[in-house]
Amino acid sequence: MRGATHAKWVACATAAALAATACGGGGDGGGGAGGEVLSSSWGDPQNPLEPANTNEVQGGKVLDMVFRGLKRYDPETGAAEDMLAEKIETTDQQNFTITVKDGWTFSNGEKVTAKSFVDAWNYGAALKNNQRNAYFFSYIQGYDKVHPEKGEQSADTLSGLKVTGERTFTVALAQKWSTFPDTLGYNAYVPLPRAFFDDHDAWLAKPVGNGPYTVQSYTRGSQMSLRKWEEYPGPDKAQNGGVDLKVYTDNNTAYTDLMAGNLDLVDDVPAAQLRNVRSDLGDRYLNTPAGIIQTLAFPYYDKNWGKEGMDKVRKGLSMAIDREQITETIFQKTRTPATDWTSPVLGADGGYKAGLCGDACEYRPDEAKKLIQEGGGLPGGQVRIAYNADTGSHKDWVDAVCNSVNNALDNDRACVGNPVGTFADFRKQITENKMTGPFRAGWQMDYPLIQNFLQPLYYTNGSSNDGKWSNAEFDKLVDEANAEDDTAAAVERFQQAEEVVRDNMAAIPLWYQNGSAGYSERLSDVRLNPFSVPVYDQIKVG
Amino acid sequence: MPDEPYEPERAIAGTGMGGQMDLAASEAVTLEKMPRGPDGTERPAGRPRSLWSDAWHDLRRNPVFILSGLVILFLVVISLWPSLIASGNPLQCDLAKAQEGSQAGHPFGFNGQGCDVYTRTVYGARTSVAVGVCATLGVAVLGSVLGGLAGFFGGVWDALLSRVTDVFFAIPVVLGGLVLLSVVTSNSIWPVIGFMVLLGWPQISRIARGSVITAKQNDYVQAARALGASNSRMLLRHIAPNAVAPVIVVATIALGTYIALEATLSYLGVGLKPPSVSWGIDISAASPYIRNAPHALLWPSGALALTVLAFIMLGDAVRDALDPKLR
Repeated sequence: MRGATHAKWVACATAAALAATACGGGGDGGGGAGGEVLSSSWGDPQNPLEPANTNEVQGGKVLDMVFRGLKRYDPETGAAEDMLAEKIETTDQQNFTITVKDGWTFSNGEKVTAKSFVDAWNYGAALKNNQRNAYFFSYIQGYDKVHPEKGEQSADTLSGLKVTGERTFTVALAQKWSTFPDTLGYNAYVPLPRAFFDDHDAWLAKPVGNGPYTVQSYTRGSQMSLRKWEEYPGPDKAQNGGVDLKVYTDNNTAYTDLMAGNLDLVDDVPAAQLRNVRSDLGDRYLNTPAGIIQTLAFPYYDKNWGKEGMDKVRKGLSMAIDREQITETIFQKTRTPATDWTSPVLGADGGYKAGLCGDACEYRPDEAKKLIQEGGGLPGGQVRIAYNADTGSHKDWVDAVCNSVNNALDNDRACVGNPVGTFADFRKQITENKMTGPFRAGWQMDYPLIQNFLQPLYYTNGSSNDGKWSNAEFDKLVDEANAEDDTAAAVERFQQAEEVVRDNMAAIPLWYQNGSAGYSERLSDVRLNPFSVPVYDQIKVG
Repeated sequence: MPDEPYEPERAIAGTGMGGQMDLAASEAVTLEKMPRGPDGTERPAGRPRSLWSDAWHDLRRNPVFILSGLVILFLVVISLWPSLIASGNPLQCDLAKAQEGSQAGHPFGFNGQGCDVYTRTVYGARTSVAVGVCATLGVAVLGSVLGGLAGFFGGVWDALLSRVTDVFFAIPVVLGGLVLLSVVTSNSIWPVIGFMVLLGWPQISRIARGSVITAKQNDYVQAARALGASNSRMLLRHIAPNAVAPVIVVATIALGTYIALEATLSYLGVGLKPPSVSWGIDISAASPYIRNAPHALLWPSGALALTVLAFIMLGDAVRDALDPKLR
C-alpha cells in the first residue's frame, strides 16, 4: 500500500504546514519578579543593538527603552525637551557647550559623564566601526578625518568634541546648524558606558544603558525580555515590571494572539482586521497621527534604474497609483494619501506642505502611461516592488499598488510584488545594495523636524539614503537650510530642497501613516508617541 | 498474467469500494468471466484478454472511476481553455469591489484585492493540473528508468541506487521545499516541478525496481535469455510491459498529492509566485480575510480539495483494476 501511505503522508504534511504558519508565535504571558510584565509584538532588529548602528524601527524601539539621551521628545507633542542635558548653550549656532545633569548612572552603576557622550560619539563616527548612523556626526569638525569618503581614517577622535569638565563638553560644528540641539534626542547620540568599549561582545549580548528598562535576555527570532530598572534616576520611571517583546513574522498572528489573550499589546494592526478592530477592541484600539511616511525608493546604483531619463518613468509610476482608493479600501482610512515628502505631524510651521507634490502624486492613469513610454518604458518590461512580509500588511498594499499600476498601463504583468520574509533580512538586502527595482521605504521620523524627513534620506551618502540618490543642488540647499538661524527661513530652504526631490521624483510618496495599536484588558494608560511607538514606560498592568 | 484465479477477490473489493451499484457491476463482471481456460486463467467468452483490456473492462463499470474521470476531464478541459467558462482576466482587479460577495456576473464574489474569485479559481486549475501532470510524468519516467535498470542489472549499481533513494526518502518534503525553493526567484512552474521530480523519483524507482526483479524471474524471461535474447530486448519486450502496472498505479495516486504539494508550497510563499494564478496563492492571500470575506478562501480551497480527491480516487480505481493483489 505504498501509494496510499504516501498520499496520507503528504496530506498530513500539507495540513501541518498550513497549521504551522497559521499559529506560529504564541506562548505564555508570564509575570516576572518585580511587578507585572506585559508582552508586546516585535520583530528582530537588523543589527546588534549598538545605538549608532541602529537606524531601523525595531531596534530603535528597544534603544528607546534602554537608553536616555541629552534630549527626549515629549510622548504627547514630540517637542524636544531636556533629559540628561542640564543646558545646551551657543552664541553662534556652530559652537555648543553642553552640560550633563548630575545624578545619572548606567544600570551597572557607572556614572554618566561628559566623557560617556564624547566616547560614544567618537565610536559612532569612526569609519573602522562601520556604524550606519555615522553620518549623524558628519557636521562635527574633524569628521572628514575620522570618516573620510575614501581611504583609511587618519584620526580616531573628532577634533570638534572636547571634554571640558566631568559634566561639560563642547561641540564645534563645521558649519552653522541651528536645530542641532533638537536632534540630540535621537538614539545615535545616547551615552555609552565603559563596558561597551572594554568588553564589547558581552555588551552586545546584553546591552547596558541608562534608561528605565534593562535587557534581561534576548533570543533572536523569539523574544527580548526587558525588566524595570528599579534604581532608574530619571523622571519617567517604568510603571510596569517589564516588557517582553515577542517576535512575530506575521502581524495577523500577533493580532490573533491578542484576541486569544496570549499577547497584551500589538503596535501594528493588520490591514485585514481593520474592518473588525473597532468591534473587537472598542476603545482598546488606538489610531493616532504619527510621523511616518511610506514611499517607494529606487536603487540608483542599479544600471537600469540609475540611467538618465528614468525620472519620467518614476513620475509615471507615481501617477499610476490610486492612493485614494488604496488608503480607503486596504487601510480603511488609517493612512492618508501623501502630497509631499514630510508628515502632517510637523505642522505647516514645521515644514509640512500639503500639495507640494502636485499632479505627480495624483492618480492620472493616461498621463502615467504616456510618461512611462516617454521615459523608455519599465526596465525589463516589469517592475518588482520589494517589501518585507512580516510587518505593516505590506503585501496587501503592494499588491494593490501593482494592480493599480497594471490597470493604468493596461498590462497585467507590468508590476508584481517581491516579498522578503522578515524586516531584518529586507533591511540587510537594502543596506547591501542588492535591490534591483523599487522597494518599500517607510520612514519613521527620528525627531520632529523637516530636516529629518529630507537629509538622512536624500542627502548624498545620508544614513538612510538606501537608494544612493545624489543631487548636488539638493545637498547645497540642505546645507544652507541647516545654516539658517531663523526657523522659518530654514523651513523655506528645506522646502526648496524638497522641490528638487519632487522634480526628480527621487522617491514616490505614497501615504502618511497613523500609528495603530490594540491592547488587552490587562493594560491601561497605553499611548502611542508621535513616532507611533507605544510609550512603554507609562503603561500600567492589571 | 497471474496464473491463479482471482475472481472472488475482485468481487469483494468491488463491494467495499462502491456500494450497491458497484456490486451489481462486479456481478456482471463475474458472470461474464465465467468460462475459464485449462490453466485456470479467466477467459472472456470467445477471445483471450490482456491485462490492459481486462483492467479497462473493469474500470468502465466502476462508478468511482467514472465520477473521478469526469471531474478530471472537466479540469483538463478548463485548464486548456479556461475562457470557455470564465470570460474575465484573472489578473484584472478593481480595488473598489474588494471583499464584495456574490453578484451578477461574479458568482463567487471578489477577494481582498477586488479580483474576481470565480475567474481566478477557474484559471487556478491550469497551474494545478500542469504541475501535477508534469511532475508525475517526470517522476514516472526518471523513477522507472533508474529503478528498472537497477532492478534488471543488480549488483553495485543497484546497491548504490538503493542507498541514494534512502537518502532522498529522508528529506522532509515541505522542509526541502522551503530550503531549496526559497532561493528561486523565477515565477514559472518549472522550479516547482523540478523540485517535485527531485524528491519524488525514489518512490517510483523502488517500485519499478521491485516489479522488474519479480518479472525477470518469470519463466518466459528465462526462456528468452536461454534463446539468446539481448538485454534490451528482454527489458523492452518481456519485462517492461509486465512491470509497468504498479508504476502507473502509484503515479496516478501521486498526481493528486503533487497538486496538494504545489498548493502547500505556494501557500508558504516558496512555490509559484504572483502573477502566477494558483489556488495555493489565493488561499494564502485570502486567509487573513476569512472573517470578512470567507468566500474568497472557500472557493479555491474547495476546488483544490475536489481536484486532489478526484485524482486520488482515480488512482484507487486504477489500482483495483490493475493490481488486485494490492487490495
